[in-house]
Amino acid sequence: MMDGRRITTTWVDALEPALDALVVLLVPACLYAIFRLVPTEDKMGVVQRIFYFHVPSALAGFLGVALCAVCSALYLWTRDRRYDRVAHASAELGVLFFTIVLLTGPIWARPVWGVYWTGEVRLTSTLVLWLMYVGYLLLRTSAENPEQAARWAGVLGIVGALDLPIIYKSVEWWRGLHPKVLKVSGGQGLDPAMQHAFGLCLFTFLLLFLALLIQRCRLGLLEEQVATLTQEASR
Amino acid sequence: MISLPNLSSIVSVLALTAQESISGFTAENVATRPEIVERGLRFLNYAYTAVWIVLGVYLLSLSVRLRRLSVQVRRLKERPGP
Repeated sequence: MMDGRRITTTWVDALEPALDALVVLLVPACLYAIFRLVPTEDKMGVVQRIFYFHVPSALAGFLGVALCAVCSALYLWTRDRRYDRVAHASAELGVLFFTIVLLTGPIWARPVWGVYWTGEVRLTSTLVLWLMYVGYLLLRTSAENPEQAARWAGVLGIVGALDLPIIYKSVEWWRGLHPKVLKVSGGQGLDPAMQHAFGLCLFTFLLLFLALLIQRCRLGLLEEQVATLTQEASR
Repeated sequence: MISLPNLSSIVSVLALTAQESISGFTAENVATRPEIVERGLRFLNYAYTAVWIVLGVYLLSLSVRLRRLSVQVRRLKERPGP
């Protein structure tokens, strides 16, 4: 067994294999639903099927950024390293899922809008958020003093999350081009078959987020262990 | 003398042409045109390939980092103390 496994808490150890297995089973189920069960959308055609991975990725990215902000605030308040570890892991996952969003979005836009990118507010604010969290990760890796890096990153994690409501409300506030599909965001809603497939994909992406978060937190714990052991060895 | 066609008939023909092309496709079912479907499939393929590449690279990097750090921790623990 790896050292990383031994140092995590028992409930996470118990949950993790089941979670991984569930994700491995659900991903093919999602693909089956997207490509075999869901009807083709009338106006956009087959390219609309990008939506089933694009929107759940965006929501997983939102979750990552929000969790990073909450844990950053808790770290700055309590100075408990565990919060900083979760904040760092969440920021990395936020960047991962928003990378998927920023790749699949323009690929969808090209055949539908005729361009890969426009200066539309939702697109621009999402890119700004992604850049801020890439900056967060660069700050974490480049800083020499880990305590100071954690403090600065904590501030950046909170400030970066202020972009979330702008992204969410941008289509409403600036009447952008970005489609409003879900009822919760003021759209007309989905066909029932589409809704089920979307629900399945969303659930799978949230489980994937959780599975990756556990692994990334384990990595953070190992990094801290290496730093502590190296310090002890050099004394 | 050449007689000019009736303006209203030209307008109605143009309106029909705009609504329905010779192949029978209308604004509502334009997404089912073979070339549009083919184009859509191409972009769909690009999108899902991008998703798998991003997720694959991240999983690979995570597993490499975990393995490397685990080995490092084991070595540091096995090192004899001062």
